[in-house]
Amino acid sequence: MAKGESPLKQFEIQPIVDINFLGFDISFTNSALWMTITTAFILIFFTVPFLKAKKTNSVSDLYPTRMQVAAELGFNFINSLLADTVGKEGKKYFPLVFTLFMFILFGNLFGMIPYSFTFTSHIIVTLALAMGVFIFVTVLGFVKHGVKFFSFFVIPGLPVYMLPLLIPIEIISYLSRPISLSVRLFANMLAGHTLLKVFAGFVSALGFFGILPLVFIIALTGLEILIAFLQAYVFAILTCLYINDALHLH
Amino acid sequence: MPQLEQVEFFISQLFWLGVFFVILFTVLTYITLPKIRAFLNQRDDFVKSHISKQDELIKKAESIVENYEAKLTEAKNQASQIINDAKDKALKESEDLIKATEEKIQHEIKQTEERVAKEKDTAISELNDQLKDSATNFLSKVTNIEKGNINL
Repeated sequence: MAKGESPLKQFEIQPIVDINFLGFDISFTNSALWMTITTAFILIFFTVPFLKAKKTNSVSDLYPTRMQVAAELGFNFINSLLADTVGKEGKKYFPLVFTLFMFILFGNLFGMIPYSFTFTSHIIVTLALAMGVFIFVTVLGFVKHGVKFFSFFVIPGLPVYMLPLLIPIEIISYLSRPISLSVRLFANMLAGHTLLKVFAGFVSALGFFGILPLVFIIALTGLEILIAFLQAYVFAILTCLYINDALHLH
Repeated sequence: MPQLEQVEFFISQLFWLGVFFVILFTVLTYITLPKIRAFLNQRDDFVKSHISKQDELIKKAESIVENYEAKLTEAKNQASQIINDAKDKALKESEDLIKATEEKIQHEIKQTEERVAKEKDTAISELNDQLKDSATNFLSKVTNIEKGNINL
């Protein structure tokens, strides 16, 4: 990092190819580049090991290869996550949760590569994902229950005189779901990457004693990789819980 | 903070996010995930079919064991039957033999007794004849009477 450079500079968007479509600036930026890499990686990682899968019944063909085991691990992880939170009806929403989890997970993880760009550290991206989930879940609730969906805001078994107080609270908490969902991911990524850069600045500033923040950075990088996984997991499990709420109300 | 300052790139980010998310979602939904699921199902089916096959084989083996045991008990019963029969037969035969031998011995004893009695009689009568002869001789010598005239 050059002297005097802000630790927030890493979040700057740099256009690679300027594209203008009907007056909208849809330039291909470094953010879009890392989205491309993430998408390509996920598709290759999960598709290629299963391309050669033959329809045979001999035992040797059924032994999974290493790559297949790795892909299965991700598949079964989301499968059990959905089964635990939503149950049998959750199978329909498996591709959505899987896509969300993998997109955020590998976006976060690739962001840990030095000089790369973390597209999940941008509030507009996380907010778009969270709003997508929010709109999907709300529409799902109305499709499943119609007007009865509004009973979601009425907590059962509560005295009537409490309702005027609690219904607005419930509605506000429901509407703040996309905000909390997006800000949680965005803030975690922002804070982690900023902290890494700030301590990286100390390394050169402290000279010989820069070894201390360097050790700290190494430990922090491990923690950031954990957070990269954890935040993707939180996003996925909250999506599952919202789907469960929309399907079963209370 | 670039996240809030670079408003001019919001539309670009949203556009590319939409593009890549839709691509990822579509390919995963229609190609990748069905492939993985098919692979896992194939393996599950294989394992399940082998488990049911194994159950069948276990049942078969059990029936074979049952059959074998039934045959074994039958053979054992037959064997003991044969042994008993043989014992009975042998016992009877030996008893018969003993009986026959005893009868034979009795018969021989009887015969011998008869023969002894007969010999005794002949001996006595011979003795009598000899005695008569000697008595006749003696008398003829004493009385000078012809032997033929003496009648005892």
